[in-house]
Amino acid sequence: MNCRKAQELFDDLSRERLAPETAAEVRQHLVDCTDCRVQEQRTARLQRLLALKRYERPAPEYFNNFLSEFHHRVLAEAQRTGRWEQALGHIEELLAVESVRVWRYRFASAMGVAVVVGLMWMGVRQMDDPASVAGQMAGTNPSLIFAETGSSTPSTFAASLPSLLQVTPADYEPAAADSAVLTPAPTHADSPSPRYVLDRISVASASYDVPNVQF
Amino acid sequence: MPTTECEIDLQHEDDEVLVRRTQRGDSAAFDVLVERYKERLYATVYHMTANHEDANDLVQDTFIKAFKSLNSFRGQSSFYTWVYRIAVNRTINFVKRRKNRNQYSLDDLDSSIQTDPDLVEMMSHITPRREVALIELHEKLNESLQKLSEPHRAVVTMHDIQGMTHADIAKVIKCSEGTVRSRLFYARQQLQGLLSDYL
Repeated sequence: MNCRKAQELFDDLSRERLAPETAAEVRQHLVDCTDCRVQEQRTARLQRLLALKRYERPAPEYFNNFLSEFHHRVLAEAQRTGRWEQALGHIEELLAVESVRVWRYRFASAMGVAVVVGLMWMGVRQMDDPASVAGQMAGTNPSLIFAETGSSTPSTFAASLPSLLQVTPADYEPAAADSAVLTPAPTHADSPSPRYVLDRISVASASYDVPNVQF
Repeated sequence: MPTTECEIDLQHEDDEVLVRRTQRGDSAAFDVLVERYKERLYATVYHMTANHEDANDLVQDTFIKAFKSLNSFRGQSSFYTWVYRIAVNRTINFVKRRKNRNQYSLDDLDSSIQTDPDLVEMMSHITPRREVALIELHEKLNESLQKLSEPHRAVVTMHDIQGMTHADIAKVIKCSEGTVRSRLFYARQQLQGLLSDYL
């Protein structure tokens, strides 16, 4: 038997609750092991010390009213439960009345229709609002765009869009006269005509040859 | 209130009979059960909480819970074990909740402690000023017990203070006797460190 096992059985040994052979084993271990003998004495002293707590008692008359307090609490608990059940019962009764049941369905239907109409109205309103669309396209809040451009309403804002961008429809089309000086980018070599405004800009090719300078 | 003949008869009935009578609607039978176990339950709960008012509330709650649930009691264990289990579980939960609120409201020491041979012997070693040491010991014991974890405190209370057997404790806390012994072992080791001045 090891020390741990023996120590767990000390109080059973002292209270004679062990089988004779187990008790003999524990006793033999105590003869052989000094540490366990010391530990057994300490455990016994601790048990005597803890047993003193049995003297901690309330005053003798303390329990006189215990039963009546118990009755009082049981009654209060029953009333509390009763009130709750009563309230639930009233609600159930109310819902069980035929006229209330009809009105309950009508109210639920009306609420459903109101929600659907509301959602549709909001959808239509959003589709009609160009600022809202522009705002969404720009990924910004339309009201911020109005504030920056000085436009007070979505419609005036929509009208001022071309001037804001400072381009005219012609800007999108290539000028025939300028086509000779066009130097399309290599990636656009196959394109029949320039597609970008910047394509029309001619840049004189830079020369790095040393000029013939005579001194 | 005068005790009726019926109540006197009930006092001598077994727990089993009283439980059956209560289940059939005889609340007077449950009163006898309350009277029979209130002090023992109070003592256990008190030693776990170290608070007089909390102990009273918890024992009252325990009996109310037992009264309300008695119809579900199938008699697989004794009534005492069953009601004890309710009390211990409620107390462990309560103590966990109030973890940071250690307010002691201790019961008085019974004056017969002065003649307890163990105490007399112990005090003669510790100090000649027995009165002071007794109060100090009283507080130190409670303080040390409160430092144990809830399951360890429950086991020490039931075994070393209440004198219950390992088998009964195992039934109450629904674990093996080996677990009870193991918890006792660790709890005592901790207590020996905390109470080394008195050992």
